[in-house]
Amino acid sequence: MTQKITLAKGLNMGLRKAMENDPKVLIMGEDVGKLGGVFRITDGLQKDFGEDRVIDSPLAESGIVGTAVGMALRGYRPVVEIQFDGFVYPAYDQIVCQVAKMRFRSQGRSKMPIVIRIPFGGGIGAVEHHSESPEAQFAHTPGLKVVACSNPVDGYWMMQQAIASDDPVIFLEPKRQYHADKAELDESATPDPLFASRVVRQGSDVTVLAYGPMVKICMKAAEAAAGEGKSLEVIDLRTLSPLDMGPVLESVRRTGRAVVAHEAHVNLGLGAEVAARITEQCFYSLEAPVLRVGGFDTPYPPSRIEEDFLPDLDRVLDAVDRSLAF
Amino acid sequence: MTQQPGSGFGPDLAEVFGPSQQDGGPELIQLLTPEGERVEHPEFSFGVGMSPEEEAEVVRGFYRDMVLTRRIDTEATALQRHGELGIWAQLLGQEAAQIGAGRALRPQDHVFPTYREHGVAWCKGVDPLDLLGLFRGVDQGAWDPEENHFGLYTIVIGAQTLHATGYAMGMQRDGVVGTGDPDRDAAVIAHFGDGASSQGDVNEAFIFAASYNAPVVFFCQNNQWAISEPIERQTRIPLYQRALGFGFPGVRVDGNDVLATYAVTQAALQRARDGQGPTFVEAYTYRMGAHTTTDDPTRYRLSDDVEHWKLKDPIARVEVYLKRNGLADDAFFETVKDEAHELGVRLREGCKALPDPSPLGIFDHVYAEMPEELAAQRDGFAAYLDSFEGEAVR
Amino acid sequence: MSEFKLPDVGEGLTEAEIVSWKVKVGDVIEVNDIVVEIETAKSLVELPSPYAGTVLALLVPEGETVAVGTPIIAVGDPNEAPAPAAAPPAGQPAGQPGAREVHEPIDTNVPPEGNPTLVGYGPREVVALRRARKGAGSPASPSAAATQSQVHASFAPGAPSPSVESDEVSDEPAVPATSARESRPTTPAETRALAKPPVRKLAKDLGVDLGTVAPTGPGGTVTRADVEAAANGAAAVAEPASVVDGPASVVEPVETTRPAPGERETREPIKGVRKMMASAMVSSAFSAPHVTEWVTVDVTRTMEFVDRLKARREFREVKVSPLLVLARAAMLAMRRTPEINSLWDEASQNVVFKNYVNLGIAAATPRGLVVPNVKDAQELSLLGLAQALNQLTATAREGRTQPAEMSGGTFTITNVGVFGVDAGTPIINPGESAILCFGAIRKQPWVVTSPTGEDELAIRQVTTLALSFDHRHIDGEKGSRFLADVAGILEDPASALLF
Repeated sequence: MTQKITLAKGLNMGLRKAMENDPKVLIMGEDVGKLGGVFRITDGLQKDFGEDRVIDSPLAESGIVGTAVGMALRGYRPVVEIQFDGFVYPAYDQIVCQVAKMRFRSQGRSKMPIVIRIPFGGGIGAVEHHSESPEAQFAHTPGLKVVACSNPVDGYWMMQQAIASDDPVIFLEPKRQYHADKAELDESATPDPLFASRVVRQGSDVTVLAYGPMVKICMKAAEAAAGEGKSLEVIDLRTLSPLDMGPVLESVRRTGRAVVAHEAHVNLGLGAEVAARITEQCFYSLEAPVLRVGGFDTPYPPSRIEEDFLPDLDRVLDAVDRSLAF
Repeated sequence: MTQQPGSGFGPDLAEVFGPSQQDGGPELIQLLTPEGERVEHPEFSFGVGMSPEEEAEVVRGFYRDMVLTRRIDTEATALQRHGELGIWAQLLGQEAAQIGAGRALRPQDHVFPTYREHGVAWCKGVDPLDLLGLFRGVDQGAWDPEENHFGLYTIVIGAQTLHATGYAMGMQRDGVVGTGDPDRDAAVIAHFGDGASSQGDVNEAFIFAASYNAPVVFFCQNNQWAISEPIERQTRIPLYQRALGFGFPGVRVDGNDVLATYAVTQAALQRARDGQGPTFVEAYTYRMGAHTTTDDPTRYRLSDDVEHWKLKDPIARVEVYLKRNGLADDAFFETVKDEAHELGVRLREGCKALPDPSPLGIFDHVYAEMPEELAAQRDGFAAYLDSFEGEAVR
Repeated sequence: MSEFKLPDVGEGLTEAEIVSWKVKVGDVIEVNDIVVEIETAKSLVELPSPYAGTVLALLVPEGETVAVGTPIIAVGDPNEAPAPAAAPPAGQPAGQPGAREVHEPIDTNVPPEGNPTLVGYGPREVVALRRARKGAGSPASPSAAATQSQVHASFAPGAPSPSVESDEVSDEPAVPATSARESRPTTPAETRALAKPPVRKLAKDLGVDLGTVAPTGPGGTVTRADVEAAANGAAAVAEPASVVDGPASVVEPVETTRPAPGERETREPIKGVRKMMASAMVSSAFSAPHVTEWVTVDVTRTMEFVDRLKARREFREVKVSPLLVLARAAMLAMRRTPEINSLWDEASQNVVFKNYVNLGIAAATPRGLVVPNVKDAQELSLLGLAQALNQLTATAREGRTQPAEMSGGTFTITNVGVFGVDAGTPIINPGESAILCFGAIRKQPWVVTSPTGEDELAIRQVTTLALSFDHRHIDGEKGSRFLADVAGILEDPASALLF
């Protein structure tokens, strides 16, 4: 039995399933309870699981993550929400110094099975601080795992898998996709592993790598490219730390060309790490250098011109063309 | 502290320098004076429900605890001077605050320390040798927090207060708060200093604890100094009065008075265990040593101050009390002295024998599930180490 | 007896001044008793003793500055004499008679050097010295370097374990996850040519299809040399054994190079002509079964003939040498044994007899050994051949031999005689089937039969000719016949008329 769901619905269902399966799972964040979250991702959960398990928190991100650390030490599995990407920074200290390091500091005696959900990315016409892509900073922090879903089905499964993991997971949700495209969910299917990348479109000329909100853009770009006689292979990275490079390397060894696309700034973004690994591992197969497409190295601009800032289909295909020209 | 007219930028430190010489204010709770005299307090008392002999036994126990704690501290400082520890955070002068608070705990109560609570660790049964690894640089915390309900030392100032609040919220959900069963009901105590009280995390912890009525005692050892910055830089009002602003009670206790600290902390912990929420306890004390072993207090404070506080020594007043009232004989004091000496020897020898961690071991506990890429990196490092003739000269 | 060495009490302290001793010889002290006050930079530090016992000696007087690590006090049993040996630190048992009882806390209000770091041991010294590697000993040895590069490659996340070559190109399929994942056939990747980006560009510039080039690089990669070889044709590359430096047997003055003092190894990268030569030698030596035969021949009459040629007017501008006669002799002898001028073509399973002779002469150039050839040498008159050989040698000496001149050879002569060497076992130039090695011509005692049939000893000009041939299609009879024919012509040039 399948149903067509949005990303928001998939995440909500995944949270519900996790709460049902394990009484130690708690949800906490600003407005997650009564309101069901500003994006309705936690809609209906407090009603069914109670205020003790779905907790509306004071307006204090560091407090949210810090108390989650305490709860985890007491044996709980907190799933906390940072309301918007740009507001994760007050919690950055607790995330990087405590959540990421507690297991290492205690040499395995204490564990941090915490999920930190962060709606990320732009394209929703928002004011400042609501359209950021801070994932590289967390991927650069040992002790954390970082994943990004791109579609409703992944949202449903990856949420449950992240909660079940004994490692802390930064769970990035592309907010512009929350209520957009629907997909068929079959709850009886066997999901892919959490920390695995996936070829979402086969091709032979250029390998295009993306995650989160850029996956859809790259799929559209591949469609347009097909019309020009160019065959793009698109890979959804899904896991940003650890990276699952296996399918990526296999693809680039076939195509000889790679383009990485993300909304985050190009400079020192995740694309840089992916490019470095591809260059080292596929050196003898490369026809062209690995190219990166991303936001410019400026702060995110006012929303009226965000579409100029964000990498769109044309910028992706320009990079593809540059790659093919080598 | 009055503002200078026209300056508008806070109290003139030179003008107010020396408030540590004040007696701690009219609301300071004290049950044993610096001269070793018992005094009464309208709200708090020591020895309720105990026979005189039981009470004396407890006080002798406090004395022993404080002497041994001071010995740990002295020995570790010496070890640092001998190059066996990279650094040590002395608690000299704060023994009563820590023993009083530590002995008020039940086994099921959980402690979140800073990095100076060696006396509380002692009370919770953590082997003092386990404390040394962090300062020697061989580990980052050698004990299991759940074994003795004593958390690892936290170096990020104030971060542990949020952990304490979250832990207390977890206790609420475990149903171990307000049941009335003394063996079941539990509380959390979060230790921090006067400097930490300025940190955002500490204030957020107060907010969360109040909002959720969490069973946590916020125990602040106000030792008057945050490295070189005096208490006046951290607060315009006595710290314990802040609690009211957050919506829970606050008290100031003489941190050099083990009886008062014990009584006040016991009461605060009981409030928490009963489900009445958080309490702020400010233990008014003095950091007799330096911030850590490589600090230089002569640059920022007067030796007058230190001399003044020497007269308030926490151990001396108990010794005087015991002797004057015939509650301990010479044999007792000798035994404690010998025990302290033995402890010193054991720490010294134990410290030198602490093994360095293995370089490859750093990969082991980064994750519950090690990613392949990290395993490959570790294997590469192993091959690298293996490629050398002999050991590295370090 | 133990000696307390001055410790580093504050991050980077290298020395301190002994300000005042708090004990004197004969005092009985406990562990942690303050024994001395030292001064560092601005602050005074009290040092506690790590040992208990009797003070045996104060080793440094007040006012003196000593380095960290210097013994400053000796503590031990009152009966011991203070000796300079260091003893392992150990606490003496408690309860020494008359021991002082003090366990005063150390006053950290007078701290060590007020180091702003505050948080640990402090920085350590860095030494500009590499650690010794296992195996070949020095970190510069090739095997160790290979291990190192393999190992270092594995430091990068996602890198394969060192058990796999760091430049390996094995096409391991992605870990199969679940049925939801697409599985990809791996064949396409395996058949794609592997080459570094610069080599790809070279291939593109030279118009070479990488897919058709036989790769000789590590891991099955196409190298620059492979591409260049493919561009220049099969037999363009250099040749083995020895170097010819012109027809005159001038031996170079002895010049030696010595490594810089202390240098145990000198390393030169493998590239360019050297690389091409190596690749050609390897491919030839390990595909054609080489057999070498030699013959010692009296070439006195050839030398007389050469003199007569030099006297002729038309040869005045041209260098004439025995090599010229040998070259002509070889081409004549080929008429009787054409296999010598053929090619074993494995790919098409044919022996290809060439109906022309592109005669290669091994030459030394500034860049190394090259083997240019004279095209259609069989067509040239003796004068024409002499001119062509002169030209070829001069061009080679200037290092300007073009790839076209080096490709397409059918037979090669290598002259080791100019170095005073008699013979060798030369390696056949790839694409050819035989190579003739010309030795030094020396005066030697020889048996000469007089016209009346009497044998007598004479001093004759004698040389050795060595012929290596491909025994796949040239057997001993053919090889011997060719060699004997060449030798015969050199012994009696007039017999060339027979061919």
